[in-house]
Amino acid sequence: MHLRFTAADEEFRAQVADWLSENLVGEFAAVRGRGGPGDEHCFVEERKAWEQRLAEGGWTCIGWPEAWGGRNASIEQQVIFNEEYARAGGPGRVGHIGETLMGPTLLAFGSDAQKKRYLPGIKSGRDLWCQGYSEPSAGSDLANVRTRAIFDEPSQRWRISGQKVWTSLAHESDYVFVIARTDPQQKSHKGLGFFLIAMDQPGVTVRPITQLTGTAEFNEVFFDDAVCSAEDIIGEPGDGWKVAMGLLGFERGVSTLGQQMLFQTELDEIIRIAKSNGSAQDPAIRQRIAEAHIGLRAMRFNSLRMLSGVADDASLGREAMIYKLYWSSWHRNLGKLAMDVLGPDAELLLDGPYELGRLQSLFLFTRADTIYGGTNQIQRNIIAERALGMPKEPRGTAT
Amino acid sequence: MDFTFSDDQLSFRDALHAMLVGEVTTDRIRSRWDTDSGTDEALLQQIQAFGFGSMLVPESLDGLGLDLVDFVLLAEACGRAALPEPVVESAMVVTPLLVDVLDRGLGNGFVQEVLDGLIAGTTSVAVAHPINPCVNFAHRADWLLLEHGDELHLIHRDSTTLKSHKSVDPSRRLASVTFDPSSDTQIANGEAGAKLWRATLNRGALASAAQLLGLTQGIIDQCIQYSTDRHQFGRAIGVNQAVKHLMADVAVQLEYVKPVVYRAAYTAAVSPDRADFAVSHAKIAAARAAMLAARNSIQLHGAMGYTWECDLQIWVKRCWALAREWGDDGFHKNRMHEWLLRPNALLGPEFTFGRRSITDSVDVA
Ligand SMILES: Cc1cc2nc3c(=O)[nH]c(=O)nc-3n(C[C@H](O)[C@H](O)[C@H](O)COP(=O)(O)OP(=O)(O)OC[C@H]3O[C@@H](n4cnc5c(N)ncnc54)[C@H](O)[C@@H]3O)c2cc1C
Repeated sequence: MHLRFTAADEEFRAQVADWLSENLVGEFAAVRGRGGPGDEHCFVEERKAWEQRLAEGGWTCIGWPEAWGGRNASIEQQVIFNEEYARAGGPGRVGHIGETLMGPTLLAFGSDAQKKRYLPGIKSGRDLWCQGYSEPSAGSDLANVRTRAIFDEPSQRWRISGQKVWTSLAHESDYVFVIARTDPQQKSHKGLGFFLIAMDQPGVTVRPITQLTGTAEFNEVFFDDAVCSAEDIIGEPGDGWKVAMGLLGFERGVSTLGQQMLFQTELDEIIRIAKSNGSAQDPAIRQRIAEAHIGLRAMRFNSLRMLSGVADDASLGREAMIYKLYWSSWHRNLGKLAMDVLGPDAELLLDGPYELGRLQSLFLFTRADTIYGGTNQIQRNIIAERALGMPKEPRGTAT
Repeated sequence: MDFTFSDDQLSFRDALHAMLVGEVTTDRIRSRWDTDSGTDEALLQQIQAFGFGSMLVPESLDGLGLDLVDFVLLAEACGRAALPEPVVESAMVVTPLLVDVLDRGLGNGFVQEVLDGLIAGTTSVAVAHPINPCVNFAHRADWLLLEHGDELHLIHRDSTTLKSHKSVDPSRRLASVTFDPSSDTQIANGEAGAKLWRATLNRGALASAAQLLGLTQGIIDQCIQYSTDRHQFGRAIGVNQAVKHLMADVAVQLEYVKPVVYRAAYTAAVSPDRADFAVSHAKIAAARAAMLAARNSIQLHGAMGYTWECDLQIWVKRCWALAREWGDDGFHKNRMHEWLLRPNALLGPEFTFGRRSITDSVDVA
């Protein structure tokens, strides 16, 4: 065990901090601290431009191999980058699905041709991606997807038909990765394929879904004979489940570090407000602030523990399973704390028709944290059954 | 000792519930969101026909002479329907305050007239207690009851300045109120004023608590339905223990809140000066159950529960608002522990329902 950053790491930290302070100015000053979950509808165009500025500076995809435009940055350096990014008030990354989910999946499972075709767009901050997993009848039971993919011999293309739902940021995305059924004879997680599909085509229709928050960050996405080329399936028909699960593993990998920095910013803001409106005098609130702080520290240490010593972060394994349940529960409590710190004002919106303040958005969005990416109930089942090996609950048969 | 409600009380509640189920559909609640008034005037007439205006007015003042125990079940029914109109507060908070003013021989020429208008359903009145930053439906009130220190003022809305605020609950219509207090508008002051405000706080907190009970029940109803209708893994999601337990936990809390709220209604009815403790307990417990219901119900609905389209939000957002109105958890817990930790706190079994002798100088529930 060695719990220190090296001198080289500290030098890297200074380099990141300098670049950010030089670049988060002018047209980008306004995006400081904006965007991210619950605030995705804000400054979208500016944040898209910011994505490209980051890329020009070489600050996108820093963990990727140099051959694909990354810096081959160590885990420590990725940690440091995320810390400094949060400290500087770097805006929520519109490119995060591409950088943290699609990119690593392509690197792990994609062909060279696929990497050549898609990685540069992600790296340069030009192409934005969204995740087309859930369907009306496939939520927790993800393997129940009904979207069909049929290979059309004459055109040598895949034709995709079906409906996805809750697709975050589909309305801003250039591409979607989709799990679809390639073999209609097969049920459940067999007979699926993992497809890379351009959004801008006649067969794809996006319809926003308004959330509890009055804003629309997720969407229904309809595929009506949408097409992609023969090369746009990762792996073989039938490999879809394996690739889809591999991708979810990355969700619990390095990308968690940036998220924790965001949490720290939120907690700092809550503490600031508690001090200024007097609620920090209330012993119950003081205790909950301390609880929130120690919970976040533990989250951070455990992520660092999970990440250290693992060269291949696709195989985070057993520890990775506990992460989603831990952070979503912690964050849900933080949302409630934010409201209690606001006190009677928690009810009052900034403006009409439904403009939420930052802490209100935080609170409302945390109600979804325990749902997306696998609900808390499903996470507990996974921990108990897969990590601990306890007897499996009977699942019923998918229809 | 008897915790049961009479057949009359229960059938009155059932009749109101049946009417609200028919009239307060979620479509009609949502259509109110697009209007300035936020109210359905025809429905208000129907509710008035139930006697809401006169129920808590003594017979000597031409009312029905019922009390808070009679009314608490009706408030609960209004909560269960997520009724947006502020009829519970009007009947349970505003009207008793005006009655108290007259009882004490206070007031000015207008008080009787305003009360008569409330009884007849022709006048509406809202009350601004400093514990709430805003007044719900202030803009549709003809008269406002306002606080200035210990003073109580009754003032026509036209002579006040209202500033609208949006609520997290789109069914609510909030405004902050400013006014120029004068001797013409003042209807009580000093110790009498302070007492009136304190009783008002208790009745307000009780009104929220009773509605929160109903809201919690309304949420359970929807979750039972959804857990039966929604299928995953080839069967109803409600089959899973993890899903069932979400609602079982709420149901247990709800049942344990009911007697607390009913007892608070009783104490506020029979010894209003000593109701602080009982009311605070009721508000804390009802808000806690409702907050759990709100949280678990969204969870049970999955992503659907996070949409604007899902009607669940109507109940959930009301819970969030009412849990804070008339004193949040911290405020009411402070009131409780201040009393509990007194050296002379009366905690023995003989004080289960509070102090028997009202000549006692210690101020307890
Ligand atoms: C804000 C937000 C963003 C999202 N973004 C995306 C996205 O970009 N792409 C995408 O593909 N999806 C996305 N989703 C969808 C998300 O992954 C699903 O909501 C989630 O998997 C749950 O599915 P469901 O909503 O259909 O709930 P359901 O599966 O219907 O579950 C309803 C309830 O039943 C419980 N339940 C179901 N089965 C079981 C069981 N076997 N045991 C115990 N409990 C069970 C659940 O825990 C839940 O409480 C998003 C969702 C949200 C809320």
